[in-house]
Amino acid sequence: MDGQAKQGSQGGESDMECSDTECFDDYDYYNNDDNEIEQIDPKKTDIEYFSCESLNEEQVERLLNETVELLSNNLQITPSSAKVLLHSHEWDVPAIVRNYKENVSNIRIRTNSAIVPQSQICFRYITCSVCVTTQNSDKFFSLSCSHSFCKDCWMTHFEVQINQGISTGISCMARDCGVLAPEDFVLKHLARTNLREKYQQFTFQDYVKSHPCLRFCPGPNCSIVIYSKEIKAKKAFCSYCKTSFCFKCGIDYHAPTECIIIKKWLTKCADDSETANYISAHTKDCPKCNICIEKNGGCNHMQCYSCKHDFCWMCMGDWKTHGSEYYECSRYRENPNVAYESAHAQAREALKKYLHYYERWENHSKSLKLEEQTLTKLKTRINQKVMSGLGTWIDWQYLFTAAELLAKCRYTLQYTYPYAYYMDPGPRKELFEYQQAQLEAEIENLSWKVERAETTDRGDLENQMDIAEKRRTTLLKDFLDV
Amino acid sequence: MANIAAQRIKREFKEVIKSEEVAKCAIRVELLNDTFTELKGEIAGPPDTPYEGGTFVLEIKVPETYPFNPPKVRFVTKIWHPNISSVTGAICLDILKDQWAAAMTLRTVLLSLQALLSAAEPDDPQDAVVAKQYKENNEMFQITARHWTNVYAGGPNINKDCDDKIRRLADMGIEEHQARVALSSYDWELERATEQLFS
Repeated sequence: MDGQAKQGSQGGESDMECSDTECFDDYDYYNNDDNEIEQIDPKKTDIEYFSCESLNEEQVERLLNETVELLSNNLQITPSSAKVLLHSHEWDVPAIVRNYKENVSNIRIRTNSAIVPQSQICFRYITCSVCVTTQNSDKFFSLSCSHSFCKDCWMTHFEVQINQGISTGISCMARDCGVLAPEDFVLKHLARTNLREKYQQFTFQDYVKSHPCLRFCPGPNCSIVIYSKEIKAKKAFCSYCKTSFCFKCGIDYHAPTECIIIKKWLTKCADDSETANYISAHTKDCPKCNICIEKNGGCNHMQCYSCKHDFCWMCMGDWKTHGSEYYECSRYRENPNVAYESAHAQAREALKKYLHYYERWENHSKSLKLEEQTLTKLKTRINQKVMSGLGTWIDWQYLFTAAELLAKCRYTLQYTYPYAYYMDPGPRKELFEYQQAQLEAEIENLSWKVERAETTDRGDLENQMDIAEKRRTTLLKDFLDV
Repeated sequence: MANIAAQRIKREFKEVIKSEEVAKCAIRVELLNDTFTELKGEIAGPPDTPYEGGTFVLEIKVPETYPFNPPKVRFVTKIWHPNISSVTGAICLDILKDQWAAAMTLRTVLLSLQALLSAAEPDDPQDAVVAKQYKENNEMFQITARHWTNVYAGGPNINKDCDDKIRRLADMGIEEHQARVALSSYDWELERATEQLFS
């Protein structure tokens, strides 16, 4: 939050530079106003704002090499040794330098002695303790720990380790010696090209994984690496394969829920979903005429085909009661007497509570998928409209924007349920659930309007979009903590 | 590679035979085939432990990639120890896994195993039942381990109480080893062991 505040004030200064050529009074007026100012700092206005870059392998190499060079110049060590240090210290150059200067002997890899053949006396025969053959001393090499072994043994050692998937973690062959083999030492002893490639591929992966500011894009078959200076639970986006994910924990973006909570929730869902699936079936009966209804759209405002009764898919209540401010369907009412009841009843209550949140979580996730289908239907509908002369293609574009926004809002709404599930009862939870209900009501309104939009409704729809997004950002502003 | 392995084993074999531990009868290795891929090892139970006086036989399999990968070692003699499976003889020891170094030898392995017998690591168990007893009822663990050493490894300490209880279960038609495992797992409480065996 500190960082954001700072960024915000910087943004303010730049605004001043832009506008002070005109009039100071004007400047003050604009600066204190919430109205649109040109060049708004996104960090100030958008709580979800996250700047990240999509890098290809080459760009990552360049980024890593810059850091390696910096450290190797700073400490006067070889780049390979610098890499070993960086890998084991999360690429934190200042910390390594501090550590190194304070206690040189503590850092295992002191590099000056590496790779130099151990022979001070030129012609000497030594027995390699690994292969037990006696060879000329010029065939012997050692790491900084001075444990020397013959060339062939180093080669075989590296081959065996690389074939087991070990790369940056290859250590010396001596007993209880943890000195790691730097990259140049390994590459020098590897003869086969395919192994060299494999080794470089493995080390690259290890380097990226150990770097706090880098993440492999989780998209299928995507080799992009996402870079961000901020290590926060925010939405990282791969500009190549369009995958988005939480930068901190790597799974699907999950605001306003925290990384630990969402992990807990997903594990719980994976464990309990069998029961939950059984309990929440795919179809429901119309509360009025009892005809069996399968949900085929994302909107939760249902209208029975048979009797035209409007009801809420979530609570099965009359939709009319949802229209007002008291949209209560998303709120789970805790039974106050539960403490006095038996363990069995408590377990039932716990299951009921879980199912309440799980059903809503699952339902919005399904709605999201169904709304994707709505988008295809939307295209056909627009085509029809355009063909029959009702506006041009461009006139209908706003519907796609609306659908996009709807998906965004519903996504956040879905992730509010795990958040609410793990909240302690109290005024904060009440506030949260109130805002959640508000958001849910507006989203359903939006969904209903998107599915039934005509050109004439444009103003109304855009108004609805604005309301839904405002509800969403308000909720995030109050409860998202990153 | 196989060549290095054979060469190494040949050399190590000599090393062990000449070593002072062999002179003291603490460790022994024996070749089981001409290709140096299978060996039989023996270690003496270290003094001042429940394993004292016992001789423990080990199966040693040398992989083709030896010494770049560790030998595969397992206890053939049944033993009651937190880091050794009482069922399969599998060993939980770091140097036989990721802490192996190519410069280690069969001799160092056997000596490390002997050291493991003197100093168990119950927080890194192979056999959870044994480890639990070791930590929660160490006196019972000592009795059980000594009894197993007596029965399976030729140790000198006969425990009449244990033998009696096993005989009582044997009279009910339970196989002797099965009876011993059940009793050992339930701190030699006849009732609970019987219950487990017949449930």
